[in-house]
Amino acid sequence: MIELRDVAFAYEDAPAFTLAHLDLDVAAGTIMGIVGASGSGKTTLAKIIAGFIPSTEGGTYRGTASVAGAVLSEGTLTEAVDVVGLVTQNPFNQISGARFTVREELAFGLENRSVERSQMIERVNTVAATLGLTPLLDRSPYALSGGQMQLVAIASMVVMAPPVLVLDEPTSQLDPAGTRLVYDVLGRLSEGGTTIVIIEHKTELLHEHCDAIAVLAGGRIVSTGTPASVFADDRLSTWGVGQTRITQAAREARTRGLLPATEPLPVGVSDGAAVFGTNGETR
Amino acid sequence: MTTLYLERASAVHRLNPVTKLVALLAIIAIVFAVPQWWVPLGIVVFVVVPAAVLARVGGRLLRLFLILLLPLLVVLFIVQGFFFPDGTTVLWQWGPARLTVEGLVFSLTIGSRLSALVLGSLVFVLTTHPARLMTSLTQAGMSAKIAYVISASLQIIPAFQERARSILLAQQARGLEIAGGPLRRARALLPLIAPLVLGMITDVDERSTAMEARAFGATPRPTSLTVVDDPLSERIGRWLLAATAAAVIVLVVVGVIA
Repeated sequence: MIELRDVAFAYEDAPAFTLAHLDLDVAAGTIMGIVGASGSGKTTLAKIIAGFIPSTEGGTYRGTASVAGAVLSEGTLTEAVDVVGLVTQNPFNQISGARFTVREELAFGLENRSVERSQMIERVNTVAATLGLTPLLDRSPYALSGGQMQLVAIASMVVMAPPVLVLDEPTSQLDPAGTRLVYDVLGRLSEGGTTIVIIEHKTELLHEHCDAIAVLAGGRIVSTGTPASVFADDRLSTWGVGQTRITQAAREARTRGLLPATEPLPVGVSDGAAVFGTNGETR
Repeated sequence: MTTLYLERASAVHRLNPVTKLVALLAIIAIVFAVPQWWVPLGIVVFVVVPAAVLARVGGRLLRLFLILLLPLLVVLFIVQGFFFPDGTTVLWQWGPARLTVEGLVFSLTIGSRLSALVLGSLVFVLTTHPARLMTSLTQAGMSAKIAYVISASLQIIPAFQERARSILLAQQARGLEIAGGPLRRARALLPLIAPLVLGMITDVDERSTAMEARAFGATPRPTSLTVVDDPLSERIGRWLLAATAAAVIVLVVVGVIA
């Protein structure tokens, strides 16, 4: 669904390329997590997948980025927006400022795509109910907390139902319940065929919900694979990515001789419980 | 959102905002075209005030009148009533201050025009939700981009205040003192300005990305979630109001009303 081939980008007047020789494949209907240290170019990558680079950003762009078979740099931004929905980092800046209630805010994108009113009402109500926003529909978007605003920002993109969704740290301001809600919704969208790319620092969440992980370091994708294989990689810390607490605990246990070196490192809670449980029983 | 709008269930509230806007513009045109002071006063007493009462915003209108308009009217009356240079019919004199009929008439004319303008605008703002106004104006053919600029301006002030507060807190946490005399307070504002303005400029970039991600400007005629009724009676009413205002202006120009 998403194919990036030898993509490179340098911002105008920047001394070096932010991304260089970058290749990435995301299969249709899957959830891909992107991890990397701060400043590794994750947001730039999100903007390339969404078609905002090179069309709205000055600089040097090379390579080919195609989504659903269309090369984004060859079409207009409107064409790209129809295919890829982008949720950026700061929810405050995603509130349009042009609408006075959450209901109108959610409908803003649909209005711009000339969706019929009856259909708009139905879609807004459905997405609001799914993301628990129904009680907030008549509130001003600016009267919301950071977490609520983030949910509105995500909902305002989900409501447009693009085949591809790119989310840049979508749960940075959400509490655990809100975070779970967002990931549940993303899971359901993925089951329905939406391809999702999430940039996220919370590796445990990514392990739990993603089909694949790509690690971004030095402007390139340095590792891709299943969450279990990527997050158990010894080189993860050298790429500036934190391992899950389960992996850290297992590594520590291995150093202390409590866990055999042959045992693969667990990443999530369930495989962690299995490893620690088995070894606890044998000892 | 910074707005004076008061939520009420009234006929004035239910009117299409474009109709109210046309009525306001007609009032402004008439009161400034007609030279007689009693015409604007009559419009205030027989149109603006009853509309405010009908809309159940009379109390707020009175309070705003006392705060905004009354001090101005008092100053106008003192300056023009007592010191009108062309005043010849003196009613009362004390030193250089001469209360003249001409001065009184002049201050009444300006004062009643100002009252009609300000009170009429206030009734409009008090009874018109900005969202309905924007929707009705876009329905009437106004560009979505212009509507965006107006709506965003109304909402940007609280956002600006919130950001200023957080910058100020951050700077106070690093030892900036803002308590003290006016000079110290003014000096404390200086380190606030740069991060506030630069921060807002940086935000513009991210917001424009978010707006484009939601296809803003993609179609010249976007649809609308909210629909404002525009019955035939109101459309006829608007034409009648515009025609009345135009007729009054013509009568003044040709000298029938003098």
